[in-house]
Amino acid sequence: MAAASPEVEAAVGHLAQNGSEVSAIAEDRIAEFGLPTRRTEGWRWTPLRRALEDAGPPWVRPDITTGVDFSLEGLLAAFRPSDTVAALALGLADDAWEYGGGAPLQIDSRSRGTGARIVLNPGQAGVVVQHIRKTEHLQTGAALIDLAPGAELSLVLIFEDSSASRIALNRVRLGTGATYRQFVLTEGAKLSRVETEVDIAGAGAKVELSGVYLAAARRHADLTSQVILNAEDAEVRQLVRGVARKGGRGVFQGRFKVERVAQKTDAQMEHNALLLEEGAEIFAKPELEIYADDVQCSHGNTAGQLDENAIFYLRQRGIPEIEARAMITRAFLIEALPDWLDEAVRGEVEQRIDAWLGAA
Amino acid sequence: MLELKNLHARVTPEDGPAREILKGVSLSVPAGEVHAVMGPNGSGKSTLSYVLTGRNGYEVTEGSATFDGADLLSLPPEERAAKGLFLSFQYPLEIAGVPVMTFVRAAMNAQRKARGEPEISAPDFLRASKAAAQKLKIDPEMLKRPLNVGFSGGEKKRLEIYQMLMLAPRFMILDETDSGLDIDALKVVAEGVNALRGKDRAMLVITHYQRLLDYIKSDKVHVLSAGRIVKSGGPELALELEKSGYDSVTGAR
Repeated sequence: MAAASPEVEAAVGHLAQNGSEVSAIAEDRIAEFGLPTRRTEGWRWTPLRRALEDAGPPWVRPDITTGVDFSLEGLLAAFRPSDTVAALALGLADDAWEYGGGAPLQIDSRSRGTGARIVLNPGQAGVVVQHIRKTEHLQTGAALIDLAPGAELSLVLIFEDSSASRIALNRVRLGTGATYRQFVLTEGAKLSRVETEVDIAGAGAKVELSGVYLAAARRHADLTSQVILNAEDAEVRQLVRGVARKGGRGVFQGRFKVERVAQKTDAQMEHNALLLEEGAEIFAKPELEIYADDVQCSHGNTAGQLDENAIFYLRQRGIPEIEARAMITRAFLIEALPDWLDEAVRGEVEQRIDAWLGAA
Repeated sequence: MLELKNLHARVTPEDGPAREILKGVSLSVPAGEVHAVMGPNGSGKSTLSYVLTGRNGYEVTEGSATFDGADLLSLPPEERAAKGLFLSFQYPLEIAGVPVMTFVRAAMNAQRKARGEPEISAPDFLRASKAAAQKLKIDPEMLKRPLNVGFSGGEKKRLEIYQMLMLAPRFMILDETDSGLDIDALKVVAEGVNALRGKDRAMLVITHYQRLLDYIKSDKVHVLSAGRIVKSGGPELALELEKSGYDSVTGAR
């Protein structure tokens, strides 16, 4: 049993007040396996303790199983016991939804915690667009996504700016020939993390992970992902772009693990960040771990400042400095928007980026 | 129109100490004239163009530069542009994600706003763009692509002149516009430049070789060497330099 860290103490305190069956299970798991601390690999730049400060006073947990064909306990059982952040998310959940493909699903959420299950049958296609709105309290979410052979899911997650904290976990499993596309826009929060774990279990799967993070002053934005390739012939594309201003912190952690069986893997990871002002922070950790010999894998990672030569070029043409900076930053970020985004979503994302750049 | 008096400037590179590059340049370019500035590598030609357009890191330590009688050096680059100063860059920048036409329209409207003029209408802009592209033999598709990204050296130079035709500046500085151009492209570019000659406009043509001046006729030629203008004359001076080299006028060797 792990020694009770401040993280565990805070989490157990919140869960105990909740008093539901799933929170009791979560409490047990957290007591047994602990929670990530600053010393935990993958959490060094994202101190979970800060998020737990925002859990707020206890609340009356509504009956959330209505209309959902699964129980939160059952959902939690599908996560690894050591995945205690998922346990925390589900233990604090006051909302749940499920999706089986077909008509696009729009989620607009201010809940404290959400448990979600997406199961697409063979050949089924689906689209989910999630807005996590500004709140005064910690928001957690854990989603289990299961894509049967040939299924195809596009998922958009928009984290609206918030002064509280939020954590979202997506655990994805792909069968043969399945496709998973994900785009995340995070405007940051006191502490924010989107953690995606993709398990490629069937041959010929396609994964596209893209994202944009914006970290203004007193904002933290973490995009963390892990793709584990357990089958041959997969194609993985990842492009993340981010910017940070003074007092803002951006975190990118990306890992591709190519197991011995995953021959003919074609995987590319790219992360580029701009530090817009002195005192901005960007932390990046791209990792390739390859055990197969017949693969094409690459990663690129850059963090720098706006090109002053380009700024001068624009100004020489008459564009004022502030606009020149915004124009180049915008173009840099927009390149990470995937072409599969539908027009309305794309328009909204561009608008949010413009608003963020304009609010300097 | 442009008046430089005893201009001294130093450059502070990111990785080294400041160096004085211009050591007292005096020059007067009246409206309606085209002046050439020639000189060996490292003589300060590009520095002169950056000092005039206000690039960061180029610090004027002595002397003055006026445009239409008003001080130029205290203005930020965008205000100089709005007053009609245009630099055709020796190495045009690649601006990823910003299509050529979007960029030029933003520049044009920013200049108009600074001058208190209304924005250009979309049809007027498209008409002007089409005409400029035709004159410079630019494929209209190219104007929809991100500025200079993946363009050849020649295409980039053509696009500089396209921007110049669109923005219709009053004072143009052409910095080594001939570099990277084959003879056919050079003729096309020169034609574009010549289309902007006029009694209310003036130009400073910076070049290493005389070749460009066969196509852009200059009224005066100045030789810049080690940060000073060491000789001025008519167009024949360029021909003389071509024949006997810079050493004959700079006194080197």
